[in-house]
Parts: sequence; structure tokens; C-alpha cells
Amino acid sequence: MEKVGIVGFNQVKMYSDANYGRYEMIFEAVRGALDKSGLKKKDITTVISCTNDYYDGRTISNLFTVEVGGGYLADESKCEMDGAHAVLYGLMRILSGNHKLAVIWSGSMPSCYPYHSTRLYETDPTWERPLGYVNDITAGGFQMRAYMEKFGVSKEEIAKVAVKNRKNAAKNPLALAEAQNANITVEDVLNSEIYSDPVTELMVAQPCDSIAAILLAPERQALKITDNPVWITGVGYSQEAYYLGERDLSISKSMEIAGKTAFTTAGIKDPKNEIDVAELFEAYAHEELILAEALGLADKGKAANLNSEINGDLAINPSGGAIGGNPPCATGLIRIIEAAKQLRGEANGYQVKGAKKAIASGQIGMCAQNNILFTLEGSD
Amino acid sequence: MAEEEKVIVNNKGLVRAEFNFWVGRYMDKFYDGLEQKKIVGNKCPKCGDVFCPPRSVCGKCNENLSLDQNWVDLPDSGTLQNFTITHFKVTDRRTRKVKDPQLIAMVQIDGSNTAIVNRLLNMPPDEIKIGMRVKVDWSEKTTGAPSDINGFVKV
Ligand SMILES: [Zn+2]
Repeated sequence: MEKVGIVGFNQVKMYSDANYGRYEMIFEAVRGALDKSGLKKKDITTVISCTNDYYDGRTISNLFTVEVGGGYLADESKCEMDGAHAVLYGLMRILSGNHKLAVIWSGSMPSCYPYHSTRLYETDPTWERPLGYVNDITAGGFQMRAYMEKFGVSKEEIAKVAVKNRKNAAKNPLALAEAQNANITVEDVLNSEIYSDPVTELMVAQPCDSIAAILLAPERQALKITDNPVWITGVGYSQEAYYLGERDLSISKSMEIAGKTAFTTAGIKDPKNEIDVAELFEAYAHEELILAEALGLADKGKAANLNSEINGDLAINPSGGAIGGNPPCATGLIRIIEAAKQLRGEANGYQVKGAKKAIASGQIGMCAQNNILFTLEGSD
Repeated sequence: MAEEEKVIVNNKGLVRAEFNFWVGRYMDKFYDGLEQKKIVGNKCPKCGDVFCPPRSVCGKCNENLSLDQNWVDLPDSGTLQNFTITHFKVTDRRTRKVKDPQLIAMVQIDGSNTAIVNRLLNMPPDEIKIGMRVKVDWSEKTTGAPSDINGFVKV
């Protein structure tokens, strides 16, 4: 694959109820990314956004973000999945050879709408939706139980993931304040409110308000913009069956395929030993384990034994991950930004020493139906 | 924010654009079956997987399950494959706690390769075991709708 570089990024701090509107937040993210990189509106050749019409409360919702997202009279389009999928769209625009700078931004403000109720709209309107038994929360309950039953993993082992990510989030100034829990214990997680048994409140990546933006450029252009671009070396993505009842929820087949594709493109043969840091979109604590196993970072059912602390064997979600804040549509894009920060040595307070190769993932759908994985490398 | 929110613009009820989905020819047969307290599924001619509820296409094989064949009569019994207990009402405008937690199950109807999601009824949570035998609790007066199934009960 031709080299495409991440040449800039910016993220608005995550809030459970941000005290400013969508327009301001999008502008802050996008204009901030340009300013930090010494770029201007005229340098943008394409803009890709990722939002969701249901979350935005209007159709073709990129129509209202043209000015604030830098898309005025520009080549502009939208991807209605996760922000990481929008990065793939932007990457493809660059690889077409027609573009010198892609702006990709994504995010949402769930403080304005009932997030978990809107997730019900993902279900089949002629069968599951009228019954109202499946939304993201109950699906997460099924997924956690399937994983525990299949591999004999305990609630405590899963709660440890939430503890690690919440402690990491406490070191990340952009994380959601409610998720910055420096002194949290496994007992706190297990004793928090039951969402959908066995999932408890503190195991959930809570939806919150934020917008993030990233800038991509082809190699020649990237090296003109910055001395320190982060290279996208591979990407893979895959989609599973729609109905929960047709899937094995204890594993992630789609992430396994996404990982194999990305690793092959990047020439990574032994991900566990070659990768220094992983930023994975875990909508629930148990998903971090399932996804890590799908990527071959641990044997099936054994990811809880992996030391994934910031200075452990393989750091997973040093930023706090999605549990550190989950702005719908931005979460996967933030994973890519956080991985890029690690490779540039800019993750102040949660930097993984000497990080050279990183992976970052995004997902969409019930129980991570669709997964996308990026492999990234820093500049020498 | 602690202070009470002031509603400046309320968009509720200005526009009504409700969908009138047709369930389609396959689910039509399924719902006709429910009205007679019968469960039907259909079988992929290529891989042999039995879908319940029925599907028009097997995703794995990318094969059409033609409407005039492939139908399989299934019993109203099955195996509990997975369950969760939720304390929140998922259809509400706001996430709200319910009085009695709902027991929600994934049940594999005997003779099918898929699971359906519905309630578990009359069961103390500590007696639920994956692999236990369950059967449909039918609504007294069926109408060919999702509500014909009250939920699943222990056999
Ligand atoms: Zn088939």
C-alpha cells in the first residue's frame, strides 16, 4: 500500500453534558487540527465526516455541518458508521491520487437524545423491535455471558479491564470526568448498578459528548506538513451476521478477519510481539478481551492473563479506551488519534515507552457486529 | 448539570412520519404460523442450516431460500442458549429502571440452527441455567403478531 500519513489531529474533551452546541464543537475539533498543523482551509481537498442521522435528529445530517467542518465548497462526503470507518473512506480518497489533504471528523452529543433507545432502531422493525428486548445494553449482557460460559472467565477478571481503563483514563486529560477513577477497585465495578446482568454500569463505555478530527495526506505532502507523520501501514474490516441468534458471541470472527487483513498488508507476522500498543474500541469491558483474542494478542479465553497495563507486556487502551469516554461515532477515530499520540511520543502521562508500532480499532453494531483495524507506524 | 433545563424549542409532535413496514412474504408465513400456535422455519438448500424465524437468503451461502419450498415445521420447544437480566426499560424515551427486572433469553428452537430473543417467564433468576429445556408460552388469543408469544417457560 502507498504510504499515507496522519499529519494532524485534535479532539474536544469528552463531557457527559457539554455546555456548548454541536456547531461550536465541530469547528473547535476541525479548525484546531488545522491550526495545530499549520494548515488552512484552502489546503483541504476533501472532507469526510461520520455522524448518524438518528443521533443528529435530522436526515442527511452532513448538510448542516458543511461550514463548521471545513466542507464549504469542498469535496465532501459522509460515512454513517464509526469514525474509524470514516478514516478508511478518507484513506481511500487519498489513495485515489486526487487529494493532498483529507479532513476526517466525527462525533455526537448524546446529552441531547436517548442514546440507548436509539440503539433499538438498529433492530429488525418487523420482529425484534416491536418486542423491545434487544438494544445495545441487553446485547452486551448476552455477549458477556457467552464469553464467560464458553471460556470459564470470571466476572472479576472482566471487571479488572474496567479498573485498568478507568485508572488509565484518570491520566488522560481529554477523558470523561466520570470515567477518570484513579482509585477504583474490582469490587466497585462489580457492585455498581446492574445494567444487563452480568454487565454492570462501570463496565460500560458510557456515551458522552465530543468531536474528534484527523488529517491525512499522501507521503510527499505529509513530509512537507510535519517531520513526525504517523504512517497507516494496513487496514482490515469485516462484518458479521445481523441477527444475534446467528452469531457466536463469545468470539469476534469479524475482528479476526479484520486483523488478518491489516497484518498481512502491514507485513506483521507476530502481532503479539511486534505491536507495542493497542487502542481497541471496547463498548464493554469484556469486549476488550474478546477483541484482543480475535487479534491473536492472547489465546482464546486467556486475554485476562495478559499484562496490558501501560508498562505491561502489551499496553491495551493506555488512554482509557472507550470506557474512558464513548462519544457515538467518534470513539474509533479517537482510538486512531490515541495510537498516533503514542507513536509521536505525545501521550503525556500515559506514554508507552518506545512505542513504534500500534494498532487501533473501531466498531459498529450490536456486540461489535462490524470491526475495523488499522496498523500504524511512527516516523524514525 | 444540576440546574433545571429550560426548554426553548420543543420539536416533539411537529412532524409525523411513521413507517408502515410490511413484514415481507417470509415473515408473513411465520406470523400466520404463530396465529395457529405453530412455529415454522426454513432450510438453506446448500448448507442445511434451519432459520427460525425464516429468512429469504442464507448469508453464508449467498443462496436464496425459495418461498415455495424449504419450509420446516418446528416444535414450540427449545434449549436456553443465553440469557440476561435487565433492570432498564429499553423502549423508553429515556433509559429508565423497571419495577421487576426482565429476564431475556436466547432460545434455540429444536430443529433450528439459530436462536430467537424473547422473555423468560415465571422463573427465579437463580434457577436459570444455560442448556435448560424451555417451551413457548402462547398468548391466549393469537393474532399473527410478535405478541402471540408471551415468552418462554421451563418445560
Ligand atoms: Zn446456507
